[in-house]
Amino acid sequence: MSTATVHFLLEDLLVQAPIGTSLQAIADTSGADITFGCRNGSCGTCRIRVTKGLDNCSEMNTEERDFLKGLEVGSDERLACRVNVMGDIEVDYLGL
Amino acid sequence: MTTISTLMRERVLLLDGGMGTQILANNPTVEDFGGKLADGCVELLNERRPEWIRTIHAAYFDAGADAVETNTFGANEVVLAEFGIAPRTREMNLIAARLAKEVARQYDTPKFVIGSVGPGTKLLSLGQIEVKALYHSYYEQMLGLLEGGSDAILIETCQDLGQMKTSIRAAKAAMEELKIKIPIWAQATVETSGTLLVGTDIASVLTTLERLGIDVLGMNCATGPDEMHAHLAHLAENSPLPISCLPNAGLPANVGGQVVYPLGPDGFADRVLHTANEFGLNIIGGCCGTTPEHIRVLAGRMGALKSRPREVKSERSVSSLYQSVTLLQEPAPLIVGERTNANGSKKFRDMLATEDYDGLVGIAREQQREGAHVLDVCVAYVGRDEVRDMEEFLRRAITQTTLPLMIDSTEVNVLERALQMAPGKCVVNSINFEDGEGKARKILDLCRDYGAAVVALTIDEEGMSKSRERKVAVAQRLHDLVVGEYGFPPSDLIIDPLTFTLGSGDEEFRRSAVETLDAIRDIKAKFPGVLTILGVSNVSFGLNPGTRHVLNALMLYHAVQAGLDLAIFNSSKVIPVAKIPSEERRMVDDLIFDRRSENYDPLKQVLATFTTGRAAMTAKVDTANLSTEARLQADIIDGEKGAILGHVDDALKEFEPLHIINNVLLEAMKIVGERFGAGEMQLPFVLESAEAMKAAIARIEPHLPKDSNTKKGRILLATVKGDVHDIGKNLVDIILTNNGFEVKNLGIKQPIEDILKELESWPADAIGLSGLLVKSTVVMRENLILMKEKGHGIPVILGGAALTRDYVEKDCRAIYGGPLLYAADAFEGLSQIRAISEGRVDELIKASESVPSEASGITILRSGGKAVSLNADGQSSWVRHGVETPAPPFWGVREVNHPLPELFEFLDEFVVLRNRWGFTQGKLSDEAFEATLKDKAEPVLARWKERLINEDILQPKARYGYFPACAHGDELVVYAPDTAASTEPSERTILRRLPFPRQATGRRLSIADFFLPESSGNLDVLALQVVTLGQRAADFAAQLYQADAYGDYFYFHGLTTELTEAYAERLHAQVRRELDVHHRDAENLRQLFSQGYQGSRYSYGYPACPDLEGNGPVLDLLEGQRIGIHMTDSFQMDPEYTTSALIAWHPQARYFSI
Repeated sequence: MSTATVHFLLEDLLVQAPIGTSLQAIADTSGADITFGCRNGSCGTCRIRVTKGLDNCSEMNTEERDFLKGLEVGSDERLACRVNVMGDIEVDYLGL
Repeated sequence: MTTISTLMRERVLLLDGGMGTQILANNPTVEDFGGKLADGCVELLNERRPEWIRTIHAAYFDAGADAVETNTFGANEVVLAEFGIAPRTREMNLIAARLAKEVARQYDTPKFVIGSVGPGTKLLSLGQIEVKALYHSYYEQMLGLLEGGSDAILIETCQDLGQMKTSIRAAKAAMEELKIKIPIWAQATVETSGTLLVGTDIASVLTTLERLGIDVLGMNCATGPDEMHAHLAHLAENSPLPISCLPNAGLPANVGGQVVYPLGPDGFADRVLHTANEFGLNIIGGCCGTTPEHIRVLAGRMGALKSRPREVKSERSVSSLYQSVTLLQEPAPLIVGERTNANGSKKFRDMLATEDYDGLVGIAREQQREGAHVLDVCVAYVGRDEVRDMEEFLRRAITQTTLPLMIDSTEVNVLERALQMAPGKCVVNSINFEDGEGKARKILDLCRDYGAAVVALTIDEEGMSKSRERKVAVAQRLHDLVVGEYGFPPSDLIIDPLTFTLGSGDEEFRRSAVETLDAIRDIKAKFPGVLTILGVSNVSFGLNPGTRHVLNALMLYHAVQAGLDLAIFNSSKVIPVAKIPSEERRMVDDLIFDRRSENYDPLKQVLATFTTGRAAMTAKVDTANLSTEARLQADIIDGEKGAILGHVDDALKEFEPLHIINNVLLEAMKIVGERFGAGEMQLPFVLESAEAMKAAIARIEPHLPKDSNTKKGRILLATVKGDVHDIGKNLVDIILTNNGFEVKNLGIKQPIEDILKELESWPADAIGLSGLLVKSTVVMRENLILMKEKGHGIPVILGGAALTRDYVEKDCRAIYGGPLLYAADAFEGLSQIRAISEGRVDELIKASESVPSEASGITILRSGGKAVSLNADGQSSWVRHGVETPAPPFWGVREVNHPLPELFEFLDEFVVLRNRWGFTQGKLSDEAFEATLKDKAEPVLARWKERLINEDILQPKARYGYFPACAHGDELVVYAPDTAASTEPSERTILRRLPFPRQATGRRLSIADFFLPESSGNLDVLALQVVTLGQRAADFAAQLYQADAYGDYFYFHGLTTELTEAYAERLHAQVRRELDVHHRDAENLRQLFSQGYQGSRYSYGYPACPDLEGNGPVLDLLEGQRIGIHMTDSFQMDPEYTTSALIAWHPQARYFSI
């Protein structure tokens, strides 16, 4: 099975996971310092900036797009709980 | 002889001040009131302790008041009934007025007595009392006040427009009865919110009362003089009536549990005189918090003050309970919504036939959204009781729509009932002279009594007027009667010159539009001030929809050019004239102006051009053509709980009841489940289907053979011990029950012992355990261990937000002997219980075992090398101190309550719709999802918001406060409010030590780190808050569930849960403002909701402090029990819709997870 790596910049943590794994599971399992709230795409606690590999994130659905549009944020931001990892990415947590 | 009215013409009148506190200063005992039942009825003191009341009246007269108010504020039948003495109303008012008159007569100068009439205790406009009862209550009071010799009636402290109208009518009737005529004064009470209690603004009060024949309109109570300025300014500019103003001694403040009025006699006199000069007041005096001393100083300063003359604009308006709407819209016309009309809208008529009154109000609100200014309401429908339909409709529409009403009926009794109920100034539609003047006069009498404007049609004994000359001649006669004889202001006469269809081709009507347009011009010129109205769409009657839109739009355009003021129109269908292609426009104009020539007939041209009918018609599936079975299935899938009953009855004639249930209804529910699972159908729609299912089954049940068992299987459901969360388990109950399973729902907080005991007497196929808390996942595991020990092997299904599939299928399954399953939602649970009852449980277990866990492929390649160290105080060195600590406005705790509309401002509607209510996109296309949100979800939200504001279900209350605090390692030490930073650390009074967990890795944070450490020698400020929406909300949710109102239950619970958060957000915003750390507050609300502010708000049970036990100390510090909040033995707060928080102001404080 092909894999991808996720680099969490805050603590310089590098994790490997099968392609298609949810970023949520990767963060939970590896103990990355990302705080999740509702895990449902509606609270915004887990907002991240994808500093590399934005195209390697699963596509946004309307809900996430609407949510982020409401926040008027940059196009490189995502909700960590809505992302599945489809290739290598580098992630910065924004809830600080 | 000097009367109170003549004196008022000479100079400003001075009234007395507060009465209640003066009476209470005598410390009345139960004996003074005459027994326990009468305890607190101050009006009884007029007879039992007359010397007290005499002394108070005399004190005010001595202070210089021209008039005193009788001690009769609550002396009406409604209030006196609470003391069991309603029949004494008239007599008690007589006694009170006589007593005051006796005192007044002892003076050499003219002194007067004003009969005080208070608002009572029941709000008419909110349906708390019937008009008839309220009217009688005041009628009796007025009789007594008149007989006792009052010099004027003062209807005061009014909170409700409906009550004002009713009491004014009662006063006039009583005067008529006794042949005594004295002035009627009315005073509204405008709260700090800017409106009367029920939401009416002062403009609506003026519009509504202006025509009712009162002599003074003013304000009293609620606030001090300064806060009244905006409203007095409106009266000063717009009211032709003298103005009175009896403010409180300033805006009352709550100081240490006591109501304190800030203005002393000097300050009060100063502000009142300033106000009197500014707005040309005619009557001044005091209300709550004012004393004889206030009046004495005021009298001394005012001398013989003359009222400043005012110039008054004449407004032509109508009003609803909430707002006044000018009849002269710019740009014209004023749009009268035509679809709340049984003659004009098929949908409205159909809803009327099924008595779907809420649906009718929905149509009203739709028109409001589409831009109508006034609603035409007609519920006349052959074979139905029009009075009752009008009552039912108005009962809802009055509070649920904000538009003024045009009451449209030919029946005098219907008009009268509607005018009694509608609180604002209405328009009556209509009068004409078809049967002479008799009926028109009856209707005009009503318009006069209730202060309504009237639509008058140009119809007389000869029939409908068609020519310009006839239209103008009938208009003249209407004007002579309404303005001439009845004395209505011209702007309250709205003439309808009639328009006829141009679609018939009938020679008689070819010129009818031209005649109508010319008549509008003539009427506007001949009768200045009189308004005109037209039912514009009549012009295109009988033509196809495409033609109608264009013809209506152009006829409206020309009518407005001619001077039309009001148009009865479907505002959603207005096409801007500029958008009409010029060729079409020329052709339709030719039709309107009848520009025919030898080879040209615009009508023929129009009919040929518009044959296709371009108006978009929505394709609705016609269920009439479906088979009985397919129709039932469609009803279930569409959630048609009303229509399904008739269809069930039809089906029962054709099929066996068991067949209907098993092969038709349950199959349809299966489709619903599949669609939900596929992401094509959302939870709220599923619940509507379940409601339809429930209704259908109930209809079939009596027809089932006695011994038939329709149940597919049985399951016991419970929320585990220590957990109060109900909703998830209840949703499962709903889905299973309505899919043919028998469910025993044991409720919340169920110890496993009780569940197993129940199982003995009620053998089931499976047990379902639910819980929301993280702690509940542990409890479930313990339950399974105990079950295994006791030898149970019954299949168990676990569900709940904090569970994960891995935890259940790996960890828990290993320790339980029987089949154990994880259900992510109610439908997964349904398929599992189905498999269990069909003996296929092993297949499920096997299938779940073959799915690898998501965590299995995750490997850490390099762990974080940037671990943060702890400093000497044992705190994360990532957090930096050094910013100056803010100073709170007070130390200790305060209680506040915020009105619901303020909470709605902070409501995260995005979360309500998409998360709480489950309107998620799933597999829907973007367009379909957006349409669902717009057509379904948002209207439901709007309806609920309105309902919550209008009904007294939610009772928001909160306590919050500031405590000196500092960090000690992982603990936050909270000190008594009077502990100062300068206090020696050993001398400080410690109230609580709050321990917090710390992150094991990464930034190593603990909530304590965001507060100054003890070693700094300084103290930080900790803000705490707890908000609740009250016990009644929880009771209401339970009632909805009991009543099988699944959809409403789900909506209410979700909205109220989120509204609790909104309250927390609202109060947190206040705390930031008070600490002056609000400068980073995001203006965009969505940003604000995702921590768009300085600092953070932490609640127990969330990632930074997951342990719910922390709620205990917070509630103790805030004394939460004072607003009815208690902690359950599982450390959750009761009532359900309650949330508490700790607030850190530190700029680095954000959410984090342990």
